[in-house]
Amino acid sequence: MLLPFFQWMEACALSVVFQSSIWLTPMVQIIHLFALTIFAGSILIVDVRLLGAVLTQIPLAKVAKDAQPWLIGSLLVLLISGIPQLTSTAMKQYYSPFFWWKMECLLIGLVFTFTLRRKITLAENASLRTVWPKVTGVISIAIWTSVATGARLIGLLS
Amino acid sequence: MSLLPLFELLEALPSSVALRESIYGYPILLTTHVVSMCLFAGLIAFWDMRLVGMTLKSVPVSLIPPNYFPWALAGFAISSISGLLLFYSSPMRFYGNFFFWVKNALLILAGVNALVFHLTTYHSVDKWDSKSVTPFGARLAGILSLALWAGIILTGRMIAYNETNMNPMTWFTAN
Repeated sequence: MLLPFFQWMEACALSVVFQSSIWLTPMVQIIHLFALTIFAGSILIVDVRLLGAVLTQIPLAKVAKDAQPWLIGSLLVLLISGIPQLTSTAMKQYYSPFFWWKMECLLIGLVFTFTLRRKITLAENASLRTVWPKVTGVISIAIWTSVATGARLIGLLS
Repeated sequence: MSLLPLFELLEALPSSVALRESIYGYPILLTTHVVSMCLFAGLIAFWDMRLVGMTLKSVPVSLIPPNYFPWALAGFAISSISGLLLFYSSPMRFYGNFFFWVKNALLILAGVNALVFHLTTYHSVDKWDSKSVTPFGARLAGILSLALWAGIILTGRMIAYNETNMNPMTWFTAN
């Protein structure tokens, strides 16, 4: 059903520019990796706090609020730098099970991060005594690890 | 002294050959390398950004190492082991690779930068622990670390693009 869309993506002007340059793709991949690092840091700085009794002297909500602009900013850079990487190799992506795996995990990750996880991280410290923060941290790390794993495997096992 | 004989020796070892010829060895190792890099570099980036004063300004500096370094170091250990195995799987592929050597040089510099900071500026952390503006030495160490790790990620990614026309070493030599 999406095949015509992917065929169109592969042939669009943006893709042609990327396909005809040897430097553009690695440069965008490097920007993607820089943003990935900041994104991972902004997720983990909070998730590690959720998992264990770390930084208990500092309210969780404060760490989460400090991490928030970096989380959103790096996510935007990841999405934007992901577009030409997707379109210029659209057919490879379409036939790669890892691409679809990554996109499904990404969707789950985004919904989870901006709903349930957000509710837990912005809550007062009292709720940290329950098991839910730990569960949230484990789920968050598992989802984002799945996204990164799927992403890397597109280029290796497709 | 050339490292070439050592690289050739490693390349010929049966376990190196086995790793090189396994179908899933390389994808598993490279994926592990990238995911563990996120754990290490992500947390270290936030540590550096705290030193520079870009984020977590209300978190006392001295609270970050005991709380986050065990995780970061676990990431670093996994990244190092998977990285060494990636190298071991095909040493001669890396020998002539410009980006491989620059990456290793930057890794050493990043280590020296962290060591110098912990042996000098960090000793007086009690005096500036809760300040949002850290001393010059701390900001310098943070900026250097961010720049060096960015360079390590950049050159690490470029190792895969060592084709003739993208290898800077070939820009200065005749065809």
